[in-house]
Amino acid sequence: MPRLSSLAELQLLRRRIRDSVSKSKPRITVCAGTACQASGANDVQRIVKRHLLEHDLVDRIGLRITGCHGFCEMGPFVVTEPGGMFYPKIGIHDVPAIVSAALSGEPAEYLLYRDSVTGTVCKCMDEIPFFSKQQRTLLSRNQRLDPIRLFDYLADGGYEALAKVLSGFAPEAIIDEIRRSGLRGRGGAGFHTSEKWDMARRQAGDVKYVVCNADEGDPGAYMDRSILEGNPHSVIEGMIIGGIAIGATEGFVFVRHEYPLAIKHVLIALRLAREFGLLGMDILGTGIDFDISIVKSAGAFVCGEETALIRTIEGMVGEPRQRPPFPTERGVNGKPTCINNVETWANVPIVIAQGGDAYAHVGTETSKGTKVFSVVGKVKHTGLVEVPMGTTIKEIVYEIGGGPQDGGKIKAVQIGGPSGGCIPHRRFDLPIDYDSLSQAGAIMGSGGMIVMDQGTCMVDVAKYFMSFLKDESCGKCFTCRKGTQRMWELLDDITEGKGTLAHLDLLETLGKTVAETSMCGLGQSAANPVLSTLRYFRAEYERHIIDLRCDAFVCENLTGAPCQAACPVGTEAWRYAALIARGEYDAAYRVIREANTFPSVCARVCDHRCEQHCRLLTTGHDPLALRALKRFVTDRSDPAAYKPERRDDPVAASMRVAVVGSGPAGLTAAHNLSLRGYKTTVFEADDQPGGLLTSGIPTFRLPREVVQKEIDALIDENITLLCSITLGSDFTVDDLFRDGFDAVFLAVGAHESWRMDIPGEDMAGVYPSMEFLKAWNLRGESLAVGNVGVIGGGNSALDAARVALRQKDVTGVTIFYRRTRQEMPAFEEEIQGALEEGIKLETLATPIELHGENGHITAGEFVVNELGDVDGSGRRRPVKKLGSEYKVPLDTLIVAISEAASEIGAAHSTGLEMRDGTITVDKRTLSTGRPGVFAGGDVVTGPNTVIDAIAAGKRAAQVIDLYLRERDVAVPAEPILPRVYVEPAVSEPAHDVPATRASMPTLPTEQRHKSFIEIEGTFSEEAATREASRCLRCDLEFTRPPQARPSLARSRGGDA
Amino acid sequence: MITLSINGVTAHVEKGTTLLEAATFFGFPIPTLCHMDGLSDYGACRLCVVEIGQQGKSRLVSACTYPAEEGLIVRTSSARVVHARRMILELLLASCPQSKTVQDLAAAHDVSQQRFRQEYEDCILCGRCVRICAEQMMAKAIGFRGRGENRSVGTPFDLKSDACRLCGACMRVCPACELRCTYAEPEKAICGGCANLQPPCIDLNEFEDMMCYMSPCVACEIVRREGEFTAKETKDVVV
Repeated sequence: MPRLSSLAELQLLRRRIRDSVSKSKPRITVCAGTACQASGANDVQRIVKRHLLEHDLVDRIGLRITGCHGFCEMGPFVVTEPGGMFYPKIGIHDVPAIVSAALSGEPAEYLLYRDSVTGTVCKCMDEIPFFSKQQRTLLSRNQRLDPIRLFDYLADGGYEALAKVLSGFAPEAIIDEIRRSGLRGRGGAGFHTSEKWDMARRQAGDVKYVVCNADEGDPGAYMDRSILEGNPHSVIEGMIIGGIAIGATEGFVFVRHEYPLAIKHVLIALRLAREFGLLGMDILGTGIDFDISIVKSAGAFVCGEETALIRTIEGMVGEPRQRPPFPTERGVNGKPTCINNVETWANVPIVIAQGGDAYAHVGTETSKGTKVFSVVGKVKHTGLVEVPMGTTIKEIVYEIGGGPQDGGKIKAVQIGGPSGGCIPHRRFDLPIDYDSLSQAGAIMGSGGMIVMDQGTCMVDVAKYFMSFLKDESCGKCFTCRKGTQRMWELLDDITEGKGTLAHLDLLETLGKTVAETSMCGLGQSAANPVLSTLRYFRAEYERHIIDLRCDAFVCENLTGAPCQAACPVGTEAWRYAALIARGEYDAAYRVIREANTFPSVCARVCDHRCEQHCRLLTTGHDPLALRALKRFVTDRSDPAAYKPERRDDPVAASMRVAVVGSGPAGLTAAHNLSLRGYKTTVFEADDQPGGLLTSGIPTFRLPREVVQKEIDALIDENITLLCSITLGSDFTVDDLFRDGFDAVFLAVGAHESWRMDIPGEDMAGVYPSMEFLKAWNLRGESLAVGNVGVIGGGNSALDAARVALRQKDVTGVTIFYRRTRQEMPAFEEEIQGALEEGIKLETLATPIELHGENGHITAGEFVVNELGDVDGSGRRRPVKKLGSEYKVPLDTLIVAISEAASEIGAAHSTGLEMRDGTITVDKRTLSTGRPGVFAGGDVVTGPNTVIDAIAAGKRAAQVIDLYLRERDVAVPAEPILPRVYVEPAVSEPAHDVPATRASMPTLPTEQRHKSFIEIEGTFSEEAATREASRCLRCDLEFTRPPQARPSLARSRGGDA
Repeated sequence: MITLSINGVTAHVEKGTTLLEAATFFGFPIPTLCHMDGLSDYGACRLCVVEIGQQGKSRLVSACTYPAEEGLIVRTSSARVVHARRMILELLLASCPQSKTVQDLAAAHDVSQQRFRQEYEDCILCGRCVRICAEQMMAKAIGFRGRGENRSVGTPFDLKSDACRLCGACMRVCPACELRCTYAEPEKAICGGCANLQPPCIDLNEFEDMMCYMSPCVACEIVRREGEFTAKETKDVVV
């Protein structure tokens, strides 16, 4: 191909390329960006080629290998034309089906993309929310062209902007066009591109430079790489235009050598552009000289800073220097230099081709155009996302990113890399533009966006970035070098449990000083990760310092074994699992009982947070079945194996404590106070003790005799139990003190069901769930008849539904829930059990009115919900769909939306504050506003789990003991770390740990019909031992004595 | 001439004057560790920060590197400056507590304790030694290596540099190692006893342009007195 020597020749060539491309011919596009290559795109590409050759299809179907399309989560994927059909995550065996589908024009349905939320099949790219909600000005070009083929770029309108400039734009006119577009630097600071160019243009001298800054070093950001890899000519075209505008004759692309594919594609593009006369001497015969060369940086983060970058190009150590003078005055070799980011350069041809005014239509008042973000982290769809400026974080994270990964709850995004900051969930309505972000404490940066959920510890995030910065600071400024190191040390102290509240003040002061006194942008923004997390997540820092807990289970020395740390009563779950593996069942029972007053109850109904945080999950395995193991031990061990330690204390024996409520919280408190030597009286409103254990939880989950046995074991000679006596109607807190009690613990639970506040709610046949369950569990009355509806999605709703189904006059049960199944708060196994038993589940349904005859319900009217905006809980808010009302015939309706404490109890005692149906207490000491009165359990938290109630009871006993001894009730926290060494049953850990857990035997569905027999069974000894030996033994890290540690040489030998 | 305001005083200075030079000239001394007359300005220690600009939009810059600008408003000891300076001194005390220079400066700014993990480093990486070696001694024998917390001063690959003439200028200008070079008991101090095992005067015959900054230094006297030290032997001892 001869060199193009005029603009006319360029246009002619373009026309000839366009004419030669057949519009009707089908084509397969394979994304071969770095991310897709990593997930196997090279294999796909090879197999497609081979398939086309073997089947002689080369003339009938086209193949295009492109750079990154952005949907990296779905790689490797192909797109077929016509129709833009998108086949994600394909394997090489899928290739023949896709090729024949492309030839026939009918999609291969089973391979198409399925929406992760609704499950609907998306035929083409435009139907996929990830793509349809973006505005892909830059990225869409990536999918239309092969980066190593200049003709593709020309066919797509490439070098048209250059032609436009060369056909008679004065340099001032170019800058004016950019000014009208409002284009601002995409590298982070957002300086107006036109102003920078203008400053460089007005400098005297005939040697000037332009530089493309592709030193993209932010962890998690890769948009510059994708553009350089996928569309290098757009950057080259932008640089030529910029060079003409400021009067430069030479340009540099400054790119990290960690980007080999980008370097390769830029080198190919430069060579092609030179061969065709688009670059080099006498561009397109216009007499303009401009050439570009590549400078590879060795990867220091600081070299992305422009003055350090200049020094690196000059061949010196990458260290920033004082600005002014700015690079536009004195840059490379002391000559005026204009440095812009990759994305800025790629935007230039678009601005020139469209015209500045047209470009300025997109975006906000101060920030124009689109911006590419790399969305990574705990979000469903990771990848590159291009949106107009002013799009909110919420739209990017939830609509394009698809929201949280499996059941997580997003709490923040980190924007702008190490120099940026964290934006908390409550500020997700923030529009993304330069100014709003910097007000919120973050920066646009180059556009990295790391999504974090509840499994991310914000202190650890800050520590990570400090660790990055203390290594990557150039070290010239004392404050940046030492400041980042010192901030890391302070954060390290906090994550090790050695922090104090003074650490936080020092962090803040030091952070501000580092930001104020450092020379370059790196140091000036280095404190952002610390300052922004401190600003928005101070409570999390304080939790680490005061309570010595890391709620994300990340900080090792505050977590220990996550199963133990997750348990509200601190059960050493790892320890009983280890003992089961060794066959020491009585010892295992003692471990369980030591922490938990209701072991058999919890073995059946606990929400097992120990399993949710099991480290086996991080390896993709099922968590250890700890609840089932506990059940195994409690079923086979004699409770007599545990002898609690009693304190003989004459002072305590003279004191009396009143415990109101005999649920798990009340009885635990009474028992533990009795062990400490106090005389305790327990007041119960119902006619038998147990609280919700007997009145709320149905017997097929928790047999009565199990509860009874456990309660009997707790009540001893120090405890007096009084039943059928109600706080409020029969006595008050004042009465208790008058009767000579020295302290009172209120654990009356939450029994008042919330009302729906809809017409017809007071008709016969409508029951609050608590009333319904109590009638059955305590008195054996069947309230449900015929067609039963249950409103709600919590455990209480599920229990009510499953009890109703078993009552004799019931024909069918339907649960109505206003959100989706994934968002139901009930335990997954309960939902699963209910569905197995034949209960219908209707989601996205809200009752609006109840209809009846003669005062008795006959039907419920519901409205269908759509999922709307994301609310404060991180879930999408149900929004009523107009005109979607429908009626369901119902004979009974059970309302289980939530419960509150009874007002009566608290109202009669002075000094107690109630809010939203719960008593307000100090969370750490359970103290109410009135001295000597403590409260815990559901009456404080609202409806909650058994294990939390037991924990409250334990805490109350400890606090009341301190109070009665006139000591400070606020005891300093201790980290819950494994302390006892249990030798592993087998000395070397097995490498073939089964990935799936042993499943618990359950009663077959057909035998459950109208039956209240317990559903779950217990493990066989063999199953229990096998399950227990799946444990990863996180505790050994902390407990293994030095002599038991495998020597380095031996463990290395084992691996080999 | 450029006109600017320093602490409310109108000052006329030549173009190219730094804020540090201007302020010092007009009687406002600014503490600094890395600045030295005769060497290029580097801006490493950040002690010389001053506040520039209007209230509300002001910022801190290092006076030694910032050029005087027309109409600039400069405050050399505003509350913000003093606050930053004290934090810098606290960081210095945490890293280099045994340096008398650092101690004196901290005392002068009423900084008497530090709240970080105590370190005992000898070097604050101010770069005076690197600059005097390159700019005045024309040797470029030492330079910075590494970055971030791994940054240090040294010769390439930690080998004895052929470019080094052992002039000792690097130690002469060091603001941090004052105590170390005179040793804890001055009467026992031998030149370079703690660091420079090979004082330049031993190689007296090899260099025609010998420049010695050692003071006090008794090495020449030792050589003359004992007579048995030759350049060759000493080299062998060290290598």
